[in-house]
Amino acid sequence: MTIGAVRAIALASALVLCVGSVSAAQERKAVAGSDLDRAQAAFQAGRYTEALALARRGADTAPTSVRALTVRAGMAEFLGEFEEARTIYDRASALAPDDAELIYRTASFAVRVGEYDRALAQLDRLLALHPAHVRWLFQWAPTYLQPGLLRDHPSLEQIVQIKLDILTEKGDLAQARQLARSYAIVKSGENYCSEAQAKSREGAEREETFNAFRLATLGQPDAADCVWWYGQWLSDEGYVRLGRLMVIEGTRTTPSTGNKASGARYLRVRLGGNREVPKRAEQLFLIARQRYLRDGDLDGAVRLFDETIRLSPTFARPYNYRATIAAHLGDREAALAWLQRGLQADPDSWRTHRNLGKLLSDLERYPEAEMHLRKTVQLFGDDAGGRLALARVLYAQGKYDDFAREARAAVALLANWKAPVPEVRDFLAKFDRWGPGAALPPAPDPPVIVGWNYD
Amino acid sequence: MTERMALVALLIGALILVAASSDAETYRWVDEGGNVTYSNRPPQAREIRTPATDAMPTPDVKAPEVRPPEVKTFDVKAPSETKAPETKVSELRGREIPTQPPIPRTGPTKIDELLELAGVRAQLVGLLSRVAVDLRPPPGQMNPADQATIDRILAQSLRRETVYGAIRDAFRPQVDRPSLETTAAWLRTPIARKIVALETAASDPGTDQKVADYAASLKASPPPARRLELLQRLDWVTGANETSVDLVAAIARGLSSAVSAAGPPESRLRPGQIGDRAAQVRARANETLREVRTMSMLYTYQALQDEELAEYVRFSGTDAGRWYNTAMRKALVGALGRAVEQTATELVRAVPLERWARAAMPAPHPVK
Repeated sequence: MTIGAVRAIALASALVLCVGSVSAAQERKAVAGSDLDRAQAAFQAGRYTEALALARRGADTAPTSVRALTVRAGMAEFLGEFEEARTIYDRASALAPDDAELIYRTASFAVRVGEYDRALAQLDRLLALHPAHVRWLFQWAPTYLQPGLLRDHPSLEQIVQIKLDILTEKGDLAQARQLARSYAIVKSGENYCSEAQAKSREGAEREETFNAFRLATLGQPDAADCVWWYGQWLSDEGYVRLGRLMVIEGTRTTPSTGNKASGARYLRVRLGGNREVPKRAEQLFLIARQRYLRDGDLDGAVRLFDETIRLSPTFARPYNYRATIAAHLGDREAALAWLQRGLQADPDSWRTHRNLGKLLSDLERYPEAEMHLRKTVQLFGDDAGGRLALARVLYAQGKYDDFAREARAAVALLANWKAPVPEVRDFLAKFDRWGPGAALPPAPDPPVIVGWNYD
Repeated sequence: MTERMALVALLIGALILVAASSDAETYRWVDEGGNVTYSNRPPQAREIRTPATDAMPTPDVKAPEVRPPEVKTFDVKAPSETKAPETKVSELRGREIPTQPPIPRTGPTKIDELLELAGVRAQLVGLLSRVAVDLRPPPGQMNPADQATIDRILAQSLRRETVYGAIRDAFRPQVDRPSLETTAAWLRTPIARKIVALETAASDPGTDQKVADYAASLKASPPPARRLELLQRLDWVTGANETSVDLVAAIARGLSSAVSAAGPPESRLRPGQIGDRAAQVRARANETLREVRTMSMLYTYQALQDEELAEYVRFSGTDAGRWYNTAMRKALVGALGRAVEQTATELVRAVPLERWARAAMPAPHPVK
């Protein structure tokens, strides 16, 4: 168990494999070959909308089946239909109040929508289902006994991990660290940060690298770089709330004045400054993005993005996705309007200026594009891709000296990141030799700096 | 497919390079009614010949002589500094250079007139023929009924006049009148007309093998450095290579969109995937086309002297030249991309994807 992202994946896997430990053999038999099975098959095949429709039908035809209700609730949660998920989870819980799996799911769901007290109450109920001596050991046994206890009782490990998530998300990092130490999730004297950096260098599996940095955050409070890296990674993934907390923590603990300034700028231009995003809005945004990018479900994605905007009107990212969808549907004017709304919501959103500049460039509205791309590189000077996009619009306007300056600056930046962009170098060499040509310069956008690549 | 499209794309590069239809001198004459006419043939009896006032002075090259209707040969003496392999002249002698009717000039140059001078319509024949070859399954792969349907759709959708009209319509909004007139004046020059004739001749799909043979001959007799430099510079100032790869990407995008839309919902490409694929194809094409393009240009312009090429480069580097090349690139890539997407959409609508899948995929043409 790590964070919401990993938990969501685990949830999906669990849904696919089997849902609801209470589902007895008879119950399984009763619904075998039913809508429920077809729902799970559709889910496994990646046809999520169809899966939810089948799960609804399955739950309607078996209203007292905990398994059917849990499948439906899980799929509704997975697709961002949170009200439906809550209703159905509640219905299932009423039927099977002591079902450990169900309690765990409802706790996890409560964390997802930011209802932390409710989640903690569910965890207390989950703990209460364990034998008294296990509960006693879990609460009072010394740290050196805890690893064995958690190994023997995985549900206890789940409780600890969810509590760590809750404490971290609530911003109580000190208590989260204390909890992690008390259950030997992290140990003193370990250099988690070095391990994490090594994994990153060696190109380890993404989740493995991520977990290593999470441990570094919990186990090494003074490892500012690691904490910061973790925050930027989370920001790229869309976990803007936790990302913000980690960047704030990394900025607070770094001894470097320059890094403190960079951290403050990152918060302002990448995470909306003081504009807090409610947890529910963040999660809806993440699911909307998946429904758009992964499922190609435009209608579902649009509905969730709009709900995100309603819940968090100053959160710039959903505006950018609404613009992307509009452009995807061929309506570039609508895309422009969404990006302009995004800038009204958050005038310092680096990504929104960048997307708007690029779209205006595509529309050959070069002077306007230049304005937004200049703002882009002003907000983030190491943005080599943005600088190349700016160089392109300068070239298109015949501002060849400015073009050359920006393009060379971008090439130099990218050389530091071992991204040689040979096509740009080749273009510059020809430009130097023969002057301007008819084709516009290439503007590749290689992802180089974690935290600045995705929204 | 990329390699096949590469060949198609090369033609786009050729199309974008300025052109005219005759290799003869340009004549301007006034008939008895006072009408001014431009022609590639000298005035006949009772026509009053005057020198073309807007013709560019030609370097010391004798314009190839064309004697319609039996136009069969170029009579070009290769300058010593650009001595090319022996095969060159004989190849050229085998080419038939199409002639164009006189283009009257009675006021501002019309877009059709400009495109006609540039040889767009003439060169579209070869280009569309290659696109059709790319989209048509090899003989015997489809059942006769499907094959007939495919052939009918290709013939209808890739009709030259239709695509030409789309190019013209896409070109029109970009017109900059002074640049257009300057470009038209250049296109009327003997050098430009000679260039267009060469490019039109090279646009014939039948020249692929000749280019390959020519490339092989260059191994024994590499082209002079100055010639290569001029051609690279020409490619740069015209943006021809960029146009080629843009076209490859546009075709890839059009095909992907059409095929994806025809498939079952769960197998359709996700948002952004079509663009990503097009970008990947474009990147690969960029590498593939670089070498092919150099060879093709060497072949196409072998009858030009270095000075003529230099003049071509000079014009292309002017504001008017850049305007023309940019506008033409947009028009061509946009119109052809749409034509391919519409054609592919009709094809998969008429012949379901499963039947295409059952037929063996056509083998890619080797890159010459």
